[in-house]
Amino acid sequence: MNGNQIIPTYTLNLEGEPCPYPVVYSLDVLEKLASGEILEIIADCPQSFQAVPEEAKRMGYVLLCEPVQEGPIIRFYILKP
Amino acid sequence: MLSSITSLYHKLFDKFWNPVLVTVIAGVLSALYFGVTQTYWAVTGEFTRLAGHIMSWFGFDPHQLSYMKIIKFQGSPLDRVDGWVVSGMLLGALMSALLGGNFKLRFPHQKRRIVQGLVGGMIAGFGARLAMGCNLASFFTGIPQFSFHAWLFMLGMATGSYVGVKAALHPLLRGKPRLEKASPGARNMQSSRSRVQPIIGLLVFCISIGLIVWEISGGHSKLGLAGLFGVAFGLLIQRGQICFTSAFRDLWVTGRGTMAKALALGIIAATLCTAVIIYLGVPQKIAWAGPGALIGGLLFGFGIVIAGGCETGWMYRAMEGQIQFVIVGIGNIIGAGILAWGWDHWGLFASLVKPYPKINLVSELGWSGAILSTVGLMLLWYAFASYWEKHVRYKANQKGQAVLMQANVEMKEIS
Repeated sequence: MNGNQIIPTYTLNLEGEPCPYPVVYSLDVLEKLASGEILEIIADCPQSFQAVPEEAKRMGYVLLCEPVQEGPIIRFYILKP
Repeated sequence: MLSSITSLYHKLFDKFWNPVLVTVIAGVLSALYFGVTQTYWAVTGEFTRLAGHIMSWFGFDPHQLSYMKIIKFQGSPLDRVDGWVVSGMLLGALMSALLGGNFKLRFPHQKRRIVQGLVGGMIAGFGARLAMGCNLASFFTGIPQFSFHAWLFMLGMATGSYVGVKAALHPLLRGKPRLEKASPGARNMQSSRSRVQPIIGLLVFCISIGLIVWEISGGHSKLGLAGLFGVAFGLLIQRGQICFTSAFRDLWVTGRGTMAKALALGIIAATLCTAVIIYLGVPQKIAWAGPGALIGGLLFGFGIVIAGGCETGWMYRAMEGQIQFVIVGIGNIIGAGILAWGWDHWGLFASLVKPYPKINLVSELGWSGAILSTVGLMLLWYAFASYWEKHVRYKANQKGQAVLMQANVEMKEIS
C-alpha cells in the first residue's frame, strides 16, 4: 500500500510513556479493533521503535508502511486484518 | 571526502544499532576498562558517594558511615575513576542522542509515572547497593569477575522483575492510554530529522575530548581514560538502547527475548576477555555471596521495572530528555544514601552481609571450572530465553490473547 493513502481509524498517542507501556497499550488496543481498522501509534520512547512493530507483526497484524520518523517521534500504521 | 563522512554519519546515526553487536562490544570494552583502571565498570558506587556529598551539605559527616569507607569515599567526583566514568557516560549518551536527533524534552502525560520513577528508583538504588552493585557491577561486569554473589543477584533480579511487571500492570500503575478517533485525511509519510541537534552533538563531542585530553596531559591519565571509556559506554548504550531492565521485563511481559539473548552473548564476551586480564595479574573484585546479594537483586529487579529503567537505562534516557528518568536518577541516589545509612544503623551489614563468605569461583573451581560454569550459565540463560519466547507465545495464543500478562486497558472510545 502506498503510505500516502493510509487513513487511520484511531490514534494512540503514547508520547512520554516509558516502557513497557507502549507495547502493552498497543497490543491491547489492536486486540480490540475490528477487522480492517487501522491504528496510528505515535511514540517517543526509543525502545518501542523496535519492540512495537516486532510484537505487532508477531501477533499477525500488518505494518502498512515503514515507520515514519520525525526526529525523536515515530509513527506506526498498523492494520488489523 | 566530505560525502564519505556524511554517508558514514548516516550509517551510524540514522538507526539504532544491533543490540547483540553492542553488548558484545560493551563486554570487550568493559574488560579493557578493568585492565586499564583496575576497577570494574560500575555506576551506583558513585551514586552512593554523591549521596555522601549531599549528606555533608546537610551537616552530617558521611565519613562516619562504614559503607562510605568500603566504597572509598573521598575527594570530589573529578578525583575519582568512577566519577569520570559516570560523567563520561552522561556526556557520551548526550552526544549520541543529539547526533542521532533523538533529543526531546518528554514529560510523562500521567502524573503517576513521576511517583513511579522516584519510588522505583529509590528501591532500585537501595537494592543495588545492598548487593554491592547494580546490573553492571553485580551482573554485566560482576559475573565476568567470577564472583558468585553476581549469580545470586541475577536470580534475585529475575524474580524481582517478574513481581515488578505484575505491579506495573496493576490498574493503579498502568493508567489509561490516550486513544482518540484519528483526525481525518491522509498523513505525511516523509521521515525528517533535526538539523541543529547533530551540530550541538558535535560540540558535546569536542568538549568531552577536550576534558579528557586536559586531564591526561595534567598527569591524571587513569582518570582521563576512565572518562574516555565512559564516553564510549554512553555512546554504546544510547545507540544500542541497551536496557538491562528489558532483558528480564520483556520476557515476562510479551515473551520477547531479544535483549536477554543479546546480554547473554555480551557477558560471554566479557567473561573471556576479563579472564585474560585477571590472569595477567589484575586482582578480582569479589563480594559477599549471601542474602544481601539475593535480596538486593530482588529489590533491584522490582524497582527497575516500576521505575521503567535501571541505572544505565536512566542515564541515557535522561540525556535523551526524558524527564521521568532524571527523577529515577534522583531516586537512585536517595535509595543508595538510605542503604549507606542503614548499613550501620539498621544492622544490615551485620545481619545480611558480613556472616557470608566471598566466593571466588576461580579459587573454588579452578580456571577451567570457573570459565566453563560462567559461560555455561549464560548459555543456559540464552536457551531459557529462547524456550520462554516460544512458551509464552504458545500459551498466550491458546488463551486467544496477545500477551500473557494483560493490562486489560478499558477503551470506552471503541466500545
